Amino acid sequence: METLTLLAGGFAVALTPLNIGLLLLGCFAGTLIGAMPGLGPVNGVAILIPLTFAFGFDATSSLILLSSVYFGCMYGGRISSILLNIPGDEPAVMTTLDGYPMAQQGKAADALAISGVASFVGATVSVIGLSLFAPLLARMAIYFGPADYFALYILAFVTIGGIAGVDPRKTLLSAMIGLMIASVGIDPISGIPRFTFGNYHLYDGVDPIVALVGLFAISEILVLLEKKAADRTAPIGITSWLPDFRTIWMTRWAVLRGSLVGFVSGVLPGAGASLGSVMSYSVEKQASDKDGTFGKGDPRGVAAPEAGNNAASGGALIPMLSLGVPGSGTTAVMLAMLISLNVQPGPLLFERQPDLVWGLVASLYLGNVALLILNLPMIGLFSRLMMVPTWALMPIVAAVSFVGVFSISNSVFDLEMMIFFGVLGYLLRKLDVSLVPLVLGLLLGGDMERNLRRAMSISDGDWSVLIASPISIALYVLTAVFLCLSVWLTMRDHKRTQSRVTEG
Amino acid sequence: MKIVTTTSAVFGLALAASVSLTAVPASAAECIAPSNPGGGWDFTCRTIGRILSELDLVEGNVQVTNMPGGVGAVTYAMVANERPADADLIVATSTVGVTQIAQGRYPAPIDAMRYLAMLGADVGVIAVDDESPIQSLEELTEIMAEEPGSIVTAGSSGAGGWDHIRLLMVAREGGLDSLGDLRWVQFDGGTDAVTQMMGGQIDVVSTDMGEIAGFVDSGDIRILASLSDEPIPAFPDIPTAKSQGIDVTGYNWRGLYTGGEVSDEDYNAWVEKLKTLYDSDNWQEAAVEFGLVPIWRGGAEFEEYVREQEKAMADISRDIGVIE
Amino acid sequence: MSVRIAGVAVFMIAALYMYFGKQYSADFGDVLGPSVFPMVVGIPAMLLSATLVVFPSGEVSWPDRGHMARQLLALAILLGYAFLLRPLGFPLASFGLIAGIGTVLGGAPLKAVILGAIMSPALWALFDQVLGLPLAFFGYWFTQ
Repeated sequence: METLTLLAGGFAVALTPLNIGLLLLGCFAGTLIGAMPGLGPVNGVAILIPLTFAFGFDATSSLILLSSVYFGCMYGGRISSILLNIPGDEPAVMTTLDGYPMAQQGKAADALAISGVASFVGATVSVIGLSLFAPLLARMAIYFGPADYFALYILAFVTIGGIAGVDPRKTLLSAMIGLMIASVGIDPISGIPRFTFGNYHLYDGVDPIVALVGLFAISEILVLLEKKAADRTAPIGITSWLPDFRTIWMTRWAVLRGSLVGFVSGVLPGAGASLGSVMSYSVEKQASDKDGTFGKGDPRGVAAPEAGNNAASGGALIPMLSLGVPGSGTTAVMLAMLISLNVQPGPLLFERQPDLVWGLVASLYLGNVALLILNLPMIGLFSRLMMVPTWALMPIVAAVSFVGVFSISNSVFDLEMMIFFGVLGYLLRKLDVSLVPLVLGLLLGGDMERNLRRAMSISDGDWSVLIASPISIALYVLTAVFLCLSVWLTMRDHKRTQSRVTEG
Repeated sequence: MKIVTTTSAVFGLALAASVSLTAVPASAAECIAPSNPGGGWDFTCRTIGRILSELDLVEGNVQVTNMPGGVGAVTYAMVANERPADADLIVATSTVGVTQIAQGRYPAPIDAMRYLAMLGADVGVIAVDDESPIQSLEELTEIMAEEPGSIVTAGSSGAGGWDHIRLLMVAREGGLDSLGDLRWVQFDGGTDAVTQMMGGQIDVVSTDMGEIAGFVDSGDIRILASLSDEPIPAFPDIPTAKSQGIDVTGYNWRGLYTGGEVSDEDYNAWVEKLKTLYDSDNWQEAAVEFGLVPIWRGGAEFEEYVREQEKAMADISRDIGVIE
Repeated sequence: MSVRIAGVAVFMIAALYMYFGKQYSADFGDVLGPSVFPMVVGIPAMLLSATLVVFPSGEVSWPDRGHMARQLLALAILLGYAFLLRPLGFPLASFGLIAGIGTVLGGAPLKAVILGAIMSPALWALFDQVLGLPLAFFGYWFTQ
């Protein structure tokens, strides 16, 4: 009951004309920024921080503007995943798996609508979780130690194995390449530069955004260039401009499962939205991929990761607000934003600045509604992007990607890296190697290694620490179940195909 | 073509709408925080950036850039190589940065930069969980000296970094000889280490007060000692290590440097601006709020201080065995 | 055959990775050290790539000479952009990029040039003026 009173107070704070205006502006700007490859929440928030100072907004209004940009970017990231097979930011990587095939089948509008609705549900579930259980969940998350995180990453990598690709060896190898790239740079534990060969540009490792844009956007240009000119310029047909509501309804369980899984991964500091979308996708694939349609344009394959990544980004606010621990790169940006506004997140934030916290929570509810309302009419507009001929669209995508990367780091080296990753991505695609595991290896590898080493430092070199806690044991059991399930499913599919062959 | 026109029309409209709303003058001054958002360097840049524009000491806003990597090494190398003469650029640094230089972990020597000023200092503290059986610094040093393998210590720096060194100085003063026997775990920030301690993964945290002050107020952790000459103003009840017979201080000052080829004129202008900022109520309040003790050293005096500290850090690191 | 070659390539990279990875050591306060994880990753990577060499899967059809020439041309344009961005400034370099890639992708050269002429200043305005991400209008070839 107390929560409801506080929340009502929050709505009173958020529902002023200025704040609603800022909310809408933030959602709109965020969606556009998020939709551009190479630009994500980090840039969106960084771009708007000066604005909040220039206009002298108070802390609550600034926070409302910036958090609506943050959520807007999370919404926007999926648009280029679906339409162009180029993820707008890291958590949108999983959406390419089924979103792009759907768009190619002329169902871009459906895919966009499903992802919009799924994002809305995921984000709303996480905000409800945030408003009801934030302090409680934060207290539970602290019992996750380094060994448990390591077990969680193992689980994530095992589930990646079942995600994509024809040959599981290639999928695993792709993840290994990602892990190798993740270990480039100065090792934060010992302070030693690894695999940098004296080049200081590599000291901070490979920026995932640079790799992501190169692997997907630049390689897409190379793939397009090997098609015949006629195939290249003919736009993909669109069967319908309006989304089919039955298809959306069909994904309801995927959305709910994805939201839950995403929320849980979001609450754990360090895991974040990328892990949320991976886990949601793999759980959904295990749960409902009976006919092998995942990866070929299954609406549930769009719904689950989208619900998952938005639920995770909401969930990640819990450790950020109530412990001051940024769960991921994007929540780190929110943390910086709070500090710029002279707000120190931590265990006392909810008590000391209830107006601000509940104003923020209320604006998250409102922001999600606004995003859904803004996004559904924009579906038609965005799917028209598919009608722009390739020769005009791709050069602009390339230019935007280059600028997005360059404007953050101001480094030509990053542009060269992007081109390198473009060639790598092209070669891997030709060899039927899925790029998604590589990106995930790169995103999760650093944390996986550090947590392994932390666990070993704690135990002073005793490997049994890895299976010493109930949490890690449970996670390994889950991993084993997952492995058995995928083996069983593969064998069943194999039998089915064989019996079909004999019948035919 | 029609679709292209509609799309570009809508795009243009959106552009115009955003132009009118976000017409912020591009700022000249830039502050690089050589870390991810959230830590001490980030706070330095964001707060100083904010106050510089509040006091109209710079035109427009100060652009804050996060350039993490190698505990400041990436930024140091970048400034040395690409922007040594850029008078609009300031970079956050601290004792942590000087420790890295002293241990030869930066790709350029200390002379590669011009050090502007220090504006405050964070105080190192030794913390335990509120339910820990360890009640005083004396008990802790005793355990560290007699059974160093029985406890796990942690902080926000890597092995041999400033958080680790401060703790080792305390341990050595308390009678531990084989410093390598004490277990050390690196976390990405002081808050990460504290939450892991609350979860029971580790026993002792050595880090700066500022970042973890909230957990002291909430009663989740207990501070055994502050590594300062005088008690921290905001927490007068916390005893110093000195008052408990361990003669160790471990400040982490917050300051700024600029490129090594910046002219004397521009250098002095920055020092003057920062002095004005230091004297303002805005800074004094913000600093105290984030657990800093305001301290001023600027210009030539600060340059000399940094060089002395580098030598002292190199000596300590050698003594302790971090470097040869 | 391509899969086999790729397998050999990854095998060599993984071997080199482990060769360098083995040399990293920290003898102070770091139990596992910086070289164990590279081994944990490198060994399975070598094994997996070795199985690809012995039992390759899938066929790769590479593009013919004409298409490959176009791909190389596109890469040359992209690299040129990276090298010329600073000297030329953003709008001019982007004009070259958009017009060049547009033409290589099969657009009529005139149309691609017009597109570049419109989009490059528009993108500059969007990023520099609206979004506040500083980009030089003229590079150092013009300003010095």
